[in-house]
Amino acid sequence: MMSVEEKISFTLNGDPVTVTIPVSMNTLSMIRDVLKLTGTKYGCGEGECGACTILVDGVAVNSCLMLAVKCAGREVTTIEGVQTDEGLSVLQEEFIRHGAVQCGFCTPGMIMQGTYLLNHNPELDIEGIKRGIEGNLCRCTGYKKIVDAIASALHRTKNTTKV
Amino acid sequence: MPSTTKRETLIGKRVPKLDAPKKVTGEAEYINDIELPGMLHGKILRSQRVHARIVSIDTAAAKALPGVRAVLTAGDTPGVPLGHGRDNPPLKGDKVRCIRDEIAAVAADSEQIAEQALRLIKVEYEDLPAVFSPADALNESAPVIHEKHANNIPFTYDYSHGDVAQGEKESDIIIEDAFRLHFVTHCCMGVSGVVARFDSEGNLTVYSQTQVPFLYKREIAPVIDVPAEKIRVIQPIIGGAFGSKLDIYPFEPICILLARATRRPVRLLFSREEEFVASPTRQPVELTMRSGVKKDGTLTFRDCKTLHDNGGYTSWGAATPFVMIQTISSLYRVPHCRYHTKVVYTNNPYSGSFRGFGNLQATFAVESHMDKLAEAVGMDPLAFRLHNSQHPGETTPQGMVFHTCGLTDCLKTAAKRSRFLEKHRTNSQNQKSSAGQRPYLKRGIGMASLLHVGGGAKIYRSDGCGTILKIDDHAHVTVITGSTDIGQGSETVIAQLVAEELGFPISAVTVINNDTEVTPWDVGVHASRTTFIAGNSAQRAARKAGRQILQAAAEKFAVDAEALELRDRHVARKDTAEALIEVGKLIRSLHFSKQHDIVMATEFYEPPSVMQDKEFKGNVSASYAFGTQVVELEVDVDTGVIRIVKVTAAHDVGRVINALGIEGQIEGGVVMGIGYGISEELIIEKGLVKNPCFRDYKVITAPDIPEIDMHFIETMDPEGPAGAKGVGEAPAVCTSPAIANALYNATGVRFYGLPLTPEKVLSVLSGRTGDRK
Amino acid sequence: MAEIEKYIAPQTLEEATRVLAEGNVTVLAGGTDLVPQTQSGIRQFQPVLMNICRIPELKGVAETNGEIRIGALTTIAEIVGSPLLKVKAAVLADAADCFAGGQVRNSATLGGNICNASPAADMAVPLLLLGAEAELAGWANGQVVYRTVPLCDLFVGPGETLIKPYEVLTFVRFPAPQKEVVGVFHKFGTRPALDIAVVSVGISGVRNNGCLSDVRVAFGAVAPTPVRGYKTEAALEGATLDDGLISTIGGVVERDISPISDVRASAWYRNEVLCRITQRLLHDVRGRKD
Repeated sequence: MMSVEEKISFTLNGDPVTVTIPVSMNTLSMIRDVLKLTGTKYGCGEGECGACTILVDGVAVNSCLMLAVKCAGREVTTIEGVQTDEGLSVLQEEFIRHGAVQCGFCTPGMIMQGTYLLNHNPELDIEGIKRGIEGNLCRCTGYKKIVDAIASALHRTKNTTKV
Repeated sequence: MPSTTKRETLIGKRVPKLDAPKKVTGEAEYINDIELPGMLHGKILRSQRVHARIVSIDTAAAKALPGVRAVLTAGDTPGVPLGHGRDNPPLKGDKVRCIRDEIAAVAADSEQIAEQALRLIKVEYEDLPAVFSPADALNESAPVIHEKHANNIPFTYDYSHGDVAQGEKESDIIIEDAFRLHFVTHCCMGVSGVVARFDSEGNLTVYSQTQVPFLYKREIAPVIDVPAEKIRVIQPIIGGAFGSKLDIYPFEPICILLARATRRPVRLLFSREEEFVASPTRQPVELTMRSGVKKDGTLTFRDCKTLHDNGGYTSWGAATPFVMIQTISSLYRVPHCRYHTKVVYTNNPYSGSFRGFGNLQATFAVESHMDKLAEAVGMDPLAFRLHNSQHPGETTPQGMVFHTCGLTDCLKTAAKRSRFLEKHRTNSQNQKSSAGQRPYLKRGIGMASLLHVGGGAKIYRSDGCGTILKIDDHAHVTVITGSTDIGQGSETVIAQLVAEELGFPISAVTVINNDTEVTPWDVGVHASRTTFIAGNSAQRAARKAGRQILQAAAEKFAVDAEALELRDRHVARKDTAEALIEVGKLIRSLHFSKQHDIVMATEFYEPPSVMQDKEFKGNVSASYAFGTQVVELEVDVDTGVIRIVKVTAAHDVGRVINALGIEGQIEGGVVMGIGYGISEELIIEKGLVKNPCFRDYKVITAPDIPEIDMHFIETMDPEGPAGAKGVGEAPAVCTSPAIANALYNATGVRFYGLPLTPEKVLSVLSGRTGDRK
Repeated sequence: MAEIEKYIAPQTLEEATRVLAEGNVTVLAGGTDLVPQTQSGIRQFQPVLMNICRIPELKGVAETNGEIRIGALTTIAEIVGSPLLKVKAAVLADAADCFAGGQVRNSATLGGNICNASPAADMAVPLLLLGAEAELAGWANGQVVYRTVPLCDLFVGPGETLIKPYEVLTFVRFPAPQKEVVGVFHKFGTRPALDIAVVSVGISGVRNNGCLSDVRVAFGAVAPTPVRGYKTEAALEGATLDDGLISTIGGVVERDISPISDVRASAWYRNEVLCRITQRLLHDVRGRKD
């Protein structure tokens, strides 16, 4: 467990960061335990629930499945990096407005995956959105309001670039 | 002063959850996120056997590992067991009885070191013969699991009303079937965990996801040998509960004991695999039901026997008969009824409380029989149910008083909106047909109703909730309530009711609900009680505070208090809507005047219900919720795969307070009900959990969800706040029998067990196994 | 967990193969199998962890002279989204679309899925239909040396391939199917998403006058490795795709497979459902417009 350490530099939520971490550490542990950003959640540690979803170079991945060393030189975005100085993102606003949040544990992962979908595939219909979040489990909401929130955000952000 | 605007009611509106903003930004702090200075990490060594004597536990190597600060075994505990069966010691010293059993616990500088230490602990076992079913455990020769119960039966339940023998005589048709309801687990997205810290005076603070913080204090005190008054329970944001946190499980006292032994804060979190293995399941039930009916369609009797697999220790699963008796005796009008449960120890994992608390299991049997009886007397499923449906004003033989009862409306609404009768007929005719492009796809439609408590459940001597309410100099309201939010939105409903009462915007209300040092007593989040009981408590406290304000204004302006009302954060004349004074200004003048008074109010609301007597009779709840769901499905008879196409849900909710919130409960409950019906199963073989991971335990995902058409029947409960009843559990209760009834409509084959996985369905449809498996 | 003593992220294939030649190396690509397996203890890290994600020779999807090459580092998501593969190898793109969930598809690689060699490997069945070969590279005699292994020979057991410890999978290649080739693939799980295949099946061939020729059939999750269904192919080759043939093909399929019972399904169910789905796919193939 005390594997060799590697110093890596990458961009985290827009800011440069340098950390030294054990090579066997996964990105989720690095984000939560080393960088102390607790918004990204541990749901299963095996890539089956999506609670740990982050964006790496804008692409949604399960941080529990990614060795931290692979963050080197990349742009990493966590839930803490979604809102800007102007406030909550459109998707965050729609989640609140639609009642897509109950216990909220799946919410950061859903928002990261939703953000990826909005940026990557703005033409999604309802079935496409459901498929788009197939890797994110929720036990409280039954998914409907989450899907509706993403659909609303898609509608609002049509013809704009990044959300 | 200007006129105040016409006040728009908040009741029935779509109000976003108050804590949603901090959840969408990742700021919300869950148990996994709590970090205290000097905090250590706790881990539990669990048994490798399901029934064995513990010969020895060698912790020397673990204790010697650098970074390990404490290793505890049973000898390091006060030796007081947990649970209302008083049979679950936090650490097991003499024997293990199921795969969860906690043998040792470690606190270390990091999780990795703690896990490494666990691997260094050597345990010697002497295997004992084990049993894995109630039937086996009841054998004469079965091993004794707890010495206190040589026959392995810690509890039995017996109920009757009327006379079943008489009912049998009155019946023209009698049917009898055996049903098998299975192990499922909560799969809260946030795993179990706890943080404990003692201060230098021995005061304990526990950060716990408990649903019952006040009962927690009382029940854990002897187990950890700390007086209840020195225990403070703070609840973080809870990552889902659904009943899993209604009882205290060994990991909590274990963490507290580690904190005491190390004199440092300790955080203990489950891994997901540990969550699957060690957190309580829904109660599995083997049930036989005999039901009788007259040829005119009138129900005559139900006679029900169950075996409850109690696993190795007692938790809330053993109490599910309380709720099952309600449904079996009172869902639809049944003149004669008998019920018997034997709760039996086995070496399987044990069950706790899970949304519905036995009602899913009971309703599956009752509603399967309703369809079967309907067919036997030649009535359609809707007409048969309407014929036996209860009406407002009835009291059931069990003693439940239905001041309001929307069952008939729910049945009619769900059937009409789904075009039930027409589709039911068409599907029946198509069962054997091989016409069409894809003859292997069959459509089915089925219905089922539910009865559940909607105004609390008086299973303790108090079913009440306390509120302390203050309005400060800036006219901001703080509502301090004993009742917890587990994600269901109780804090938002409370804020809505208070804001409505006071004529304030909801942004002027803060709810504090998570610290036993501050909040008044509440029995806990269970039995769908928070909207009703905490809501009433908060609303009445707000009413008192409102009266204080109006009285002060009446004196100040020399008018009758009756002529005034609160609107728009002003005191206004009722007749002209003319604003007299802004509330904040009035409060400041009260405060800083010679009167020196501030606005505070308290209320403890106890619902007008009673504890059931020894025969389980009595009006245990102040209100009852009803609902009917119609499920439309498509089954692929070649593969057994069921696709749920649409669920039409009509629920008697009394009154909708938060439209967003209540929709969320229905949508979430229905999807949970679908999972219980067709895909979820915790596979237990020889006491071991074979699928402790999301890959193999099939929770419903987004692409699986059906269309849901929801209708709220507002029966305006006389006791409920704004007329509302509780509905947190109801939506999960009747989905799976509706699915089974729909499957029968599609295939002509009835299924008596869950889940209806593709393999199970194909196995029965192809004739490989009987329909009783 | 075993300790990693050295971490290296080479930028050339030469460097990577030289490291492999020294032995005791764990190769890191997407990590979606490696990370959970090492965390649960099913697999141990070797003393050297080599991240191959920076090696350009392992990337890219391209068609050259009628041959399609897919680099081992191509992610499953890139396969789903490849315009070339959508047209020229739709079975592969379709299979990729059924793979786990979106986040995993974004990280998991084709090479990783093949090297992990699960009996249910989602990419293997379509690649077997396409007659794919794997190119392996190793360091010998002072240079990078290559060898090619047909995929149908590559898998030797659950989790085992013919790839030597000093070799790395560089790319997969197959002849670009001619326009007349029709291919179908079905992954059957008990949920639409997030599922390991209970069974999977693919069929390809050239359709002519109600017959199939150049038939290839492949099955997943019903044998120790993904397999070609040679007996099923023989029964279909050149035969008229009529109701008689289709309704009896199940009996032949059964002889090509050896499913096991596990927590996901029983052997009986796997057998039953595979036969029925194969029949259904044949109906689909027959019904498609020429």
